[in-house]
Amino acid sequence: MADSSAPPFRRAVVALSGARTDRPIVALAAEVARQHHAELVGVHVVEIDWTLPLDADVAGRSEDAQRVLDIAEATAEGARHRLETVLLQARDVGAAIVDEASERQADMIICGLPFRRRFGGDFAIGRTIPYILKNAPCAVWVVREAMPEEQA
Amino acid sequence: MIGGRRPIQGRKLADKRVRVERPHSAYFRYAGPGQLVAKPAASQARSGFGRQWLRAKAWLIGRPLASEDEISERLSKRLALPIFSSDAISSSAYATEEILKVLALAGAGALFLSIPLAIAITGLLTVVAISYRQVCRAFPGGGGAYAVARKELLPILGLVAAGALLIDYVMTVAVSTSSAMDQLISMAPVLDNGQDHRLRIGIAVVVIALITVANLRGLRESGNIFAVPTYLFVGLALLIVMAGVFHVVTGTVTPFPPQPEVTPMGTQAIGTFLILRAFASGSVALTGVEAIANGVPAFKPPEAKNAANTMLAMAVLLGTIFIGVTVIAHAYQIVPSQDLSGGPTVIAMVAQTAFGKDGPLFYVFQMATALILFLAANTSFNAFPRLGAILAEDGYFPRQFSFRGDRLAYSWGIVLLAAIAAGLYVLFGGNTTNLIPLYSVGVFVCFTLSQAGMVRHWVRTHDSGWWWRGIVNAFGALLTLVVLVIVLTEKFEHGAWVVAVLIPTLVAMMLFIQRQYRASARQLAVRPEFVLPPKLREERAIVPVPGLTRAVVRAVNVARSVADDVIAVYISDDPEDARAMRERWERQVPGVQLVIVESPYRALAGPFMAYLDVLDRAWPPGHEEPITFVVVPEYVARHWWERILYNQSARRLRALLVGRPHTVVVDVPYRRDEADRFHGLDAESSTPADA
Repeated sequence: MADSSAPPFRRAVVALSGARTDRPIVALAAEVARQHHAELVGVHVVEIDWTLPLDADVAGRSEDAQRVLDIAEATAEGARHRLETVLLQARDVGAAIVDEASERQADMIICGLPFRRRFGGDFAIGRTIPYILKNAPCAVWVVREAMPEEQA
Repeated sequence: MIGGRRPIQGRKLADKRVRVERPHSAYFRYAGPGQLVAKPAASQARSGFGRQWLRAKAWLIGRPLASEDEISERLSKRLALPIFSSDAISSSAYATEEILKVLALAGAGALFLSIPLAIAITGLLTVVAISYRQVCRAFPGGGGAYAVARKELLPILGLVAAGALLIDYVMTVAVSTSSAMDQLISMAPVLDNGQDHRLRIGIAVVVIALITVANLRGLRESGNIFAVPTYLFVGLALLIVMAGVFHVVTGTVTPFPPQPEVTPMGTQAIGTFLILRAFASGSVALTGVEAIANGVPAFKPPEAKNAANTMLAMAVLLGTIFIGVTVIAHAYQIVPSQDLSGGPTVIAMVAQTAFGKDGPLFYVFQMATALILFLAANTSFNAFPRLGAILAEDGYFPRQFSFRGDRLAYSWGIVLLAAIAAGLYVLFGGNTTNLIPLYSVGVFVCFTLSQAGMVRHWVRTHDSGWWWRGIVNAFGALLTLVVLVIVLTEKFEHGAWVVAVLIPTLVAMMLFIQRQYRASARQLAVRPEFVLPPKLREERAIVPVPGLTRAVVRAVNVARSVADDVIAVYISDDPEDARAMRERWERQVPGVQLVIVESPYRALAGPFMAYLDVLDRAWPPGHEEPITFVVVPEYVARHWWERILYNQSARRLRALLVGRPHTVVVDVPYRRDEADRFHGLDAESSTPADA
């Protein structure tokens, strides 16, 4: 039986997509991390398609990309915990997150899964989360957004 | 900016990624399109001295709080009561004594009047408290009497109320500190031998400084620091009152033994004059009642309701303790000690009736009394800066008073109050009675104006219950006006005239400040229909050059980036030197016109200014005058002590250029540590001191 007092993670990578789920997952992660004095790294990946070189100056000039991380940082501060932020450019978001987590020896990756409201409502799981679930060397938390009341 | 630009290899061959540097993230945070929020690091000092200073400040008053923390700094009723009511509640520690001192002038037989007088003053307190509860609800923005009188009566009457309140708050600090020292001396007479008051004054000034620091640490923190002594005083005072009333009711009272320092009994007749004077003296019990109404925004939401309820709690506690102490003092035949005799205070003797002369609770109570009297000063430290901030926002006070410090406290107001109150205390030699005549006049001016304003408020708004509320306020206004007249008449020659002079002086000062701000606002105002036109005016850059140095080269470069028309001006008193300078300039700085002004009288700034005037006059008539950028090269020394060696001429020139029409002064610093990176001209012939 697992030790219930053991921290769920020592260092977690929080995958930030700029979606509605960013704030709740950062708040949740910060809350847990604060209790266990764990480290948090917020990672946002800007996907660069094959028409541009990987090191093209895209994310650095993008206020949107910066804002995703700044909002996450502010959310963590609101929960009285520090979030280190990393902005990446990559061809594949899932691979970049897994690689960054591996390099930082993170023992947890936390991702958010928003509810798709259009087309009758569904969870658009996409390809990033399955990639992480399949390839991450550490534990993965996927925090699913609550279903709207009218569809629950 | 891409950090390193070299892709980082992932676990799989095709998985590469690039880390992007975020240079802004250390200092700013994006809050929306085109909007940045500064982080604490952006406000960090850049110099070593500045960092040391900030570190010392953080140690003394705490780490800076963000504006968004303001809501968490708000006060609960539990904390607001000691912060805003310690002044009013502490009045019960000396109000009875003030009544007895006046009645003693008519002999021991007049002391019985203290009870009806205390009841009358408590009645007045009830009316004033009800009125201020209504002020809290009607004016949730705070400001108390000032806000009411300004809006409901006349702006000038608002200023009269503000002036009176400001005086009141300063007096509160001085009087409370003085009374607190009396209490300490009751407990430890060694602190004042009746002749030399230096130790007493020294302790008081240190305490004022400590309260100042506590307040600079912010509202909540000072509330936490000061809550315990206030509640301790209230608890023990209620215990004394209960014990005293028990003895009175059961008939077990034994008269208090006479003290050697007792006030000598007078032989005046008991008349209206004496009674009114005693009433006026005892009405100091009402001081501080208005503080809650001034600080409504400091309460947690719902602000007005919480403030009104705190006001009620304060009035009940104050009334109970005041009447209780007066009844006990009368029952035990307690007579006040002479001023500065070192004898016990009335409240100390009353405490002895319950706790005994050497009982531990007596000492605890005396300590709590001394503390609450010091903390009464703290009420002013909250109310004065808030009023100052409101006045500053309305343009009647310098704007700095509306700026919040690192801990969200109005630091300017706090420091100013401490300085004036400590100065006043020292000036009056720490004697409470000398200060009290200055004290109660301002308080009753505020009471009268705020209640008169509230009458108009109810008549104007016709809110629910307006008629009975209006009647309460009208009655209160009349009552406090009568007391004001009594206080003013009775105490005029004892020092109240100072307040009568000070209030109009303060009003005049506030009007003057407002006129200045209005005049500057008019001059700076941009009309709503104004749209910035395309660039029309021409510009030229004039560089005063003291020689050919690296600082000058940099200034010339800046000048060339500002304007096409660049003229370097060299003032010289030596024709040979001037010739050499021209030869060198034309060789090393080609394309920039050099004008040499020979100055046979060796003046530098004067001929330069005259040259600028000549340029202006030479401008073709009918054309709008150009903007003249005076680009001043400045050598920045590494150490502060080196700086006195350099830039004196530049400093003088800048001072002369301030306010010159169509002229912009541009400082171009050249730092000593940049010398190594400079790949320009050799500067052997000129010293930086010329710059």
